[in-house]
Formats: sequence, C-alpha cells, structure tokens
Amino acid sequence: MSGWVGAAVRRSEDARLLAGRGTYVADMAGRDTLHAAFVRSDRPHARITVDAREARAAAGVVAVHTGADLAGRVGPIPMLTKPDPDFTAATGFTMVDPALPCLATDRVRYVGEPVAVVVAGSRHAAEDAAELVDVAYDPLEPVLDAASALAAPPLHPHLDANLAAEITCAFGDVAAGHAGAAVTIEQTYRMGRHGGVPLECRGVLARTVGGRLEVWTSSQIPHQVRTAICAATGWDADSVRVAVPDVGGGFGTKANVYGEEIVIAYVAHELGRGVLWAEDRAEHLVSGAQGRDQTHRARLSVDADGRVLAWEDDFLIDLGAGSLWAAGIIANTAIHLAGPYRIPAFRAHGRAAFTNKTIVAQYRGAGRPEACFALERSLDLAARELGIDPVEIRRRNVLTAADLPYALPLPYRDGVPISYDGGDFAACLDAAVELVPEAEVARLRAAHPGLAVGAGVACYVEATGRGPFESGRVRLTPGGGFAVAAGSASAGQGHETTLAQVAADALGVRPDEVAVRVGDTDAVREGVGTFASRSAVLAGNAVHEAAGRLAEEARVRAAGMLGVDAEKVEPGPGGFAIAGTETGVTWAEVAAEGPLDEVVLFRPPTVTWTMGAHVAVVGVDAETGVTGVLAYGVAHEGGVEINPMIVEGQVRGGVAQGIGGALLEEYAYDQDGQPASTTFAAYLLPGASEVPDVAVTHRMAWTDRNPLNVRGVGESGTIAVYPAVAAAVDAALGTTVTTTPITPRDLVQARRVPSAGYAPVAAGGCA
Amino acid sequence: MAEVAVEAVTVRVRVNGRDVVETVAARLGLADFLRERLGLTGTHLGCEHGVCGACSVLMDGVSVRACLVFAAQAHGREVWTVEGLHDTGRIADLQDAFARNHGLQCGYCTPGFLVAAAEYLDEGGAPDEDAIREALSGNICRCTGYQGIIAAVAETARARRG
Repeated sequence: MSGWVGAAVRRSEDARLLAGRGTYVADMAGRDTLHAAFVRSDRPHARITVDAREARAAAGVVAVHTGADLAGRVGPIPMLTKPDPDFTAATGFTMVDPALPCLATDRVRYVGEPVAVVVAGSRHAAEDAAELVDVAYDPLEPVLDAASALAAPPLHPHLDANLAAEITCAFGDVAAGHAGAAVTIEQTYRMGRHGGVPLECRGVLARTVGGRLEVWTSSQIPHQVRTAICAATGWDADSVRVAVPDVGGGFGTKANVYGEEIVIAYVAHELGRGVLWAEDRAEHLVSGAQGRDQTHRARLSVDADGRVLAWEDDFLIDLGAGSLWAAGIIANTAIHLAGPYRIPAFRAHGRAAFTNKTIVAQYRGAGRPEACFALERSLDLAARELGIDPVEIRRRNVLTAADLPYALPLPYRDGVPISYDGGDFAACLDAAVELVPEAEVARLRAAHPGLAVGAGVACYVEATGRGPFESGRVRLTPGGGFAVAAGSASAGQGHETTLAQVAADALGVRPDEVAVRVGDTDAVREGVGTFASRSAVLAGNAVHEAAGRLAEEARVRAAGMLGVDAEKVEPGPGGFAIAGTETGVTWAEVAAEGPLDEVVLFRPPTVTWTMGAHVAVVGVDAETGVTGVLAYGVAHEGGVEINPMIVEGQVRGGVAQGIGGALLEEYAYDQDGQPASTTFAAYLLPGASEVPDVAVTHRMAWTDRNPLNVRGVGESGTIAVYPAVAAAVDAALGTTVTTTPITPRDLVQARRVPSAGYAPVAAGGCA
Repeated sequence: MAEVAVEAVTVRVRVNGRDVVETVAARLGLADFLRERLGLTGTHLGCEHGVCGACSVLMDGVSVRACLVFAAQAHGREVWTVEGLHDTGRIADLQDAFARNHGLQCGYCTPGFLVAAAEYLDEGGAPDEDAIREALSGNICRCTGYQGIIAAVAETARARRG
C-alpha cells in the first residue's frame, strides 16, 4: 500500500479541535497549579529600582522574584543562531549578543519588558499582587528609530554601539551597471512593524514530575527552549523535558525563546510545584516578539527594454531591544533581495540596530517580504518610467526553464554556493496572470462602480528547508502499531497528518496506524523546530528515512522468523510475506520479537528554492481611502505536495497575513516610545470581510535535494502580498506606494496633493 | 492600595443542558467560570476585550463573548459551549464541513467560529457568501484566510435547506 503522500487526506488533528477538546497550555492547569503574573516595564527606557516587599506579603502570594533575585541563578537568554563561517567570510557578516536578561535588573529597554514575576494561588491573586510591586523609574532618553540608534549611546552597556548586525552581499560591477542605464529608479521603501499575533497568546506550564522538570510551552521550537533553559540555569539537558501541547498559531512569534519561559521553569523548579503563566492579549501586544520594521534605500538600473543592469539596496532593520534571530533576519533580507531574476550586478548592504521598542523575532517570511517589496516596487517604477506593462518587465527579467538551475556567486547561510533549483519561473508568472486575467479585472471594475479598481503583480523567490538538521523517529510499538516523533513542533500546520502520510508510505501501512507526536524532547532527544518553511522538507525526510530503515529492519527480521533469505520477503497484507506465497508474518508478530526504533537526523545538502507570483486586484474608495482586496491569485512553484489541502491552506493563510500587513497591521509607537497598538481596536487584524478567496495554482518542480522531493511552503503565501497590493493601489489611484501599511489616511492625503505623488512617511535614514 | 473586594454571588445556570449552581466571586468572568469551574476549556480566550470572538458561547440562543460577560450575568440563563454543541450532535454536519473544507488549522479560534456559525444556521441563515462573511465578521482566524470556513458554513446552510 502506498500513495498517501500526495493525497488530500483529512487531518487527524481536526476531530479533537472541532469538539472543543484540544489541549492548549492554559487548559492544563490543575486544582493545585500556581499561577504567575509578570510585572512589566511601563517605560521605554529607564533605570529602575524594584521593591517587591508589599507584594511578597500579599494574600495568596507564594513567591515573588525580581531581576536582582535571579542574579547569579539565571543567566541571559542565549542567542539561537550562529552563522556559518564560510558565509560570514563571504559577506563580512558581524553580529553582537544583546544578552537580554530574563527579568530586567537595573535598566528597562522597552515597554512590556518583564521586571518581576509574582506567583500565587490564583491568577487573580497574582495579578492583584503584581500591582503592589513598586518599580521606581529614572527615565532615560528613548531611542525610537534605527537610524538615530546608530548614533545614540549603547542601550546595552556591555556593547560599544547599537549596531546589532551588519552584512554585505555583492556580485558584478554595480557602478558600471548604473552608468549604462536607460532608467535608474532611486527610492526609499519602508515596511512597518507588525507580527504574527497568534490567536493563542504565549503560555508556559512548568512542573516537577518524578524529580524531573517538565515545561509545557506554546512554542514552535521546544528543543531550543530546552537548550536555552539549560544554558541559562546550568541544568543538564536530560533533567528537563520541554514539550508542546496544542499550539494556537505561531507564525514566528513563537519560534523564539522568551525570558518568561526560563523564569517559569526556574520558579517551578524552586517551588517544586506546578506554575502556569497564561499570557493575556494586553501583555502579548507589548511583549510578544514583533517583526519587519525595515527601511530600504534602493537603486535599480535598467536598459531601454527594462532589463536589469544593476540592483543595489541599503537597508536598516529596527530590532527593538534585541533579537535572538538577528542573523537570520538580516541574512534572509540580503540574500532574497536578489529575487527570481537575471541580475548581472548586485549589492545589498544591511544593518540592524537596537532601539527601545519590543523585541523582534522572525515573522512569516523573516526579511523576505521586505526584500521582495523593495525589488518589486522598483521594477514597477521602472516599468512605469519606460511605459512597459508591469507583467512585461518581469517577463523580460525572470528566470526561464533555460536559465534554471541558476547559480548566484554568493554562498547561502549554510556556506553552500547558492543555486536556484527551480523549474520554470517564467511559466509560474504566466500561470499567476492567468488566474486573474484582464477580463476579470474589467468585470470587477464594472461590478464596483464606486471604487477605483486596479491590479498588481509581484514575484518572489524563497529558500526553504534550511538545516542544519531535523529529527525523525519511528518506533514499532508492542501491538504492531507505529509511533512517529519529530523535532518540528506543530502550531497548526498539521504535522500529525502529514508526517503520518510520509511514514505510512515508507512502512506500507495506513496513516491511521501511525501515531505522531511532535515537539516533545522526550519523544525525540534532538530537534530544531518549526520555522523558515522547513518542516515538510526536514522533518518529512527525517521521518521518511527513519520509516524506511525500520521497514527494512523489520523485513530482515521477518525473513528470520520465516526461515528464508531476506530477498525472498516482501511487504504483504498487514506485514510481510514470502514472495509469491501467502505465508507471512504480521507487524504485530514482528513487534512481539522486540522493539524496533529508528532515529534519523536529516541533514539536507543545502536549501531548496521555491518561486511564485501573486496577482492582486484592489478596490479603493476614493473618498475614505479604504482599500479592499477584491480578487487574489497565487501561482507557486513547489515540490511534491505531501497533502495538497494543507499546502493550499498554508498559501491562503499566508496571503491573509500579508493582506493584514499590507493594509491594516502596525505596532505603532508614539513620540515618547509608548506603544500605541495595545488592543485589537488599534492593532487591526484582517477579518472574514477583508480577505477574499485566493485562487492557487501549484506548479511541480522536481528537486534532487531531498529524497521526498518536497519544498517548503509555510511562508510562500505571505512574501509577495505587500508589493502586489501596493502595485494594485498604484494602478487604481496613480499613486506611488512606498510604505506599508497602506492606510486610508495616507491614500486620502496622497490624492489631495496629486502632483506630489505618494510619499506617506519620511523614511528613516539608511545612509 | 485598597483591598480588592471579593464579593461572592451564587449563580444558577443551565450549561450544555445541565443545571449548575456555583458560588463565585462577583468579578469572575463567564469564560473563566466555564473554563476553571466547569472544566469546559473549549471556550478559548484570545483577546479578553471582545474583539476576536474565540470565547463565543450561546446564551439563551444568542452568541455572546464570554470574556465580556460576568458569570453572575448568566444567572437564570441557558448557556451552550462548543462541548455541548458537539456532544448533542447539533453541529455534526458543520464540524464535518469544517474538516472537509480545511476550515481550521491551529484550532484556537474554531470553537468561537462554530458557535457563531451555529447561531447563523439556527436562524436559517442563507448559503450566501457575503451574508456568511458578515455574520462571522466578529470572529478572527489567524491561520486559514477564512476561505475554508466560509465554504463550510455555506455548504452546511445549503444542506440544511435541503
């Protein structure tokens, strides 16, 4: 039996989730569980002294810890990524460690930073007592944008400056390219600060079980949370189990290690009791990791036909008080600026800076949407200047089947020279245009006479399936069933279903015979996690190989049980049979001879690339400036789809988040550094009326970079939305959108001063 | 700081067809009451300020946000949560349509959507996509892009109309 990979099988997760019987971390509290509340900074930048005496004496309080209490016991949050030395050498990459404390000690650096933790018998008691913790603030000048941060005194006194990371990726003669140009577009682009905003906030439950500490956390990367807890406390890795229950969305915000996770683990260990912290939305909007917040100063030169001669971009990232993912974000941005085009000369220079805003993590795309926005918008402006259709200028530059595979004279982040292993990017662009043809745009224009209607297109390229490895474990259980584990946790992506499909094919069984447990350090000791469009590629292939090995081991054992040579034994009904006969043994009989257990750490040779093209149609109310997305199409070049229903779901969900970021979502700060997006009335999420149906075309392109022939898809839907929507707005109104979110206020203002074009925000410097 | 008044009130409420009498703090929210006192953790808290709809439950047949209602306000009322709707089989067709149309990913918003959709369908809602989008506009899903949810509700509405 085989053929489960590729089938749109129903998700095994759905039954419990639809019955309201999923188990999220906040659902795990028992009668004797203690509850934690964090005291958080209400200033962006200040020296602090903390007096917790009154809180300690309050009714119901079991423990209060300040930063000072943790000194010498709990170290800072360790960085999560170390760049490859070959990549570092080729790009002049540098970065520094902000050494973020789990609880602030003498200084706070953003509103929302945890300052103290209060543990009590109930959530109410903990919150009441948290208000009794007296934090005295001696204000310091807040640094609120990346450009001024570079010149400001260091926010982290152990560092020389606020430069967090720097990178240069370059090839070809950029100056010569500009010199020979028919048109050069110079523009500054800005993508606002927004983020994953999973519907379930963060949460941690830590408890001691049989002398060992168990930490249940709403995370995409439980193995890295374990590593960080152990690094910060000095505990042995085997003394801590970190596991995830059902997780209510992540999108990168939960692909992070938080001080709160380490503090709750420490407090539960100290008390020898279970402690739950369930973050509320007010906390999340100031202390959950945020994303994007980049400014790009870009220069694109093309010849008279619109062919790219030189492409240059100098970008600056606002990392807030710090980011464990600085290396990933800045490198993703720089590399993906090269786009899916023939570009003879390229230079990307990026810097990231610390400011007094909330910490930053990866957010779906993690630098790729920002890079895509700068390049795609520049192509649109060049096309406009030359009088070429936006689709046509892309057709003249996009890589074709004849160009691919296409090598760039740059190493990827893993040190391996970049080679786009795609099939036919030009055909993918054409496929996207076909999804929303001109006749459909005309129909929508006629159907919405009160709106200015326009269409836009944008292409992207994405490196997926990044290493270094992911784990897959397959066990034959005593009754003849199968248990699969992987380091990639699921935050809604459906790993229980897809990994069962993969294992089922390799084992010759049905997916419902395979029980999948992901994201538990006890289920498989090593792991990396779910982010960067990597789980299908990495965990998928790890499980595929582990299941294949187990099947072979079982076949050899079956041959021994049957007293024949192994080559005479083949898979048979419910187990194995001697070829050409009905004599065989079942999986249960094989299992009765003893356990079989295979663990594979799958290490890909390098990333595998996807490409896609998006077409957006928007309608703008010229009076109010409100923009609605009327139609949307995505053509996506990927690999084998393990489950096409889930692949489409990832693309559609990604588009919805891109629409949010393009039109609605922003973590705004006022001039004093106070966050302004502290409720869902201010941080606007797209609802059912803001997200149209998304037409998706999947184009298969084989890759030799992994045995399953899969490519990642988790971020594909998001990357190109911003420029596609911006281009559609420009087509509707004749504006020049350079900034997201594209707000009604900015559009109304742009129309009042049409000769000035559209220049909504003076971009921060990117010298 | 003043002592927080923790006045106790007795709440008699019918939850998922079962009569419940509990003495609770006056300030206890309905969502916390359902989750912590009754163990009905299918009612999820997504924002606690009435925007996301994840905590929606039916109170006397009308969907309310359990984060904005005090437990005491449910006194004398009838409340249905996702668990009760599931156990009685009232939304079996809707749940099946959600699964077939990939109307859920992480599942956190799902109970709220099921409650809001159940209300729409109970009122005889039409299989009209715009009307469904309007009816569900008080619920946020961060994963799916809504397409599968809308399709599932439309399909169920069509089937119920025969």
